Amino acid sequence: MNFIKKILLFFKRESKLFYMNITDLLSSILFFFLSIFVFVFALGADEQLLRTIGLGIIWSLLLLSSTLSLRKFYEEDFDNGVLILIHMSGVSYELIVFLKILSHFIFIQLPFLISIPIASIFFNLPISETYNLILTFIIGSLILSCLISISASMNLLNKTNFSIGSIIVLLFSIPVIIFSVGINNNESDFRSIINLLIGISLIFLGISPWSSAAFIKLALRNK
Amino acid sequence: MFGFLINPNKFNKFSDTIFKSLIIITSLALIFGLLLVYLSPLDYQQGFTVKIMYIHVPSAWLALLTYIIMTIYSIIGLAFKIPFGFIINKAIAPIGTVFTVLCLISGSLWGKPMWGTWWVWDARLTSVAILLVIYVIIIFLNYAFESREVREKTIAIFVLIGSINLPIIKFSVDWWNTLHQPASISKLSSPSIDISMLQPLLVMTVAFSLVGLIIAILRIKAEILIRKKYL
Repeated sequence: MNFIKKILLFFKRESKLFYMNITDLLSSILFFFLSIFVFVFALGADEQLLRTIGLGIIWSLLLLSSTLSLRKFYEEDFDNGVLILIHMSGVSYELIVFLKILSHFIFIQLPFLISIPIASIFFNLPISETYNLILTFIIGSLILSCLISISASMNLLNKTNFSIGSIIVLLFSIPVIIFSVGINNNESDFRSIINLLIGISLIFLGISPWSSAAFIKLALRNK
Repeated sequence: MFGFLINPNKFNKFSDTIFKSLIIITSLALIFGLLLVYLSPLDYQQGFTVKIMYIHVPSAWLALLTYIIMTIYSIIGLAFKIPFGFIINKAIAPIGTVFTVLCLISGSLWGKPMWGTWWVWDARLTSVAILLVIYVIIIFLNYAFESREVREKTIAIFVLIGSINLPIIKFSVDWWNTLHQPASISKLSSPSIDISMLQPLLVMTVAFSLVGLIIAILRIKAEILIRKKYL
């Protein structure tokens, strides 16, 4: 009972932080829309062209805008010692990482769902593709949260090279992009690709708590 | 007997004993290999450009071999807490980078006359380009952290995560329909390449790996001296 209370308190704190920093989320959504506009200005307003490449553009821009929140993932909690405080209350680092990933998924990634239908209107995507996009984004953003957790914990003590965290997220998100966009492109099997995506997300949900906790312990030892 | 593989002092002693003979063997192998390449027959379709193969294939193999060695030494360094693994990781990452770049450039130069394009988005080429990105990230991570322990362990864990790419590179020509041809030389079946071309290829591979070994020995010795605060 006590344990569940701790987890609920963790999510209460996260939601408070979310409401305090809501402009940050809104500005990353704004970044997403503005980059769509930039793409359309750069490519020209050819409807047929935009419809064929729209899905790929939306996915890669979602990826880029979700890496914007990368530095915030652990850094504040690491710098003001909240991570150690939560750990002292009897929660292991692995579980903290897992809860962090869940809260990032709920509070940062899921609000992007509102922007996806609007973005698909801009590109005139058919309704079936929009549906597929939302479905793959729900699974894919969980994978992205795991990747962001790994790369943010890796770069906790990195004070010089800020862009390498985003590079690592982009590098390991290649399979996610391939499968998520490939769900529409050819006559590939819908259910097999969804199963593959769920499999990848389960793998990363298994790997990322251990590796992130190892990186956090390493960083705390050398703080 | 194999203590020189994990002990810096034994490595220094061992490399000092073999270094001169290694240089002589390497130069002989390189001269002999280049001579064999010069005398090797032209391909009836590809003509003169087939000789790019004698640089392209060894450098591709060595790029993969360097990453495999780094993976093994990362496991040794992390699991058994042997710091020599981290020394090797730092020392040979640039060598792998150079071989990967060599492989990509020679393949590009070979692709223009044969396929009609410098670059195609084919599975083998893309996965090797990703290998290059991983190598470059490893080199960058060397300069990202102040604390040495964090640097070493981060790089080792990153090498382990990045080793997912190795089987993808190896089997990409079998799993997907690619423009790149499948492997001509494999352990299980007889090679699908003629013996007159196989001989210079193997000699060039030996020569390339010996050159890589010499550079690796020099870099590892320099790195050991840095750790001992001599440099």
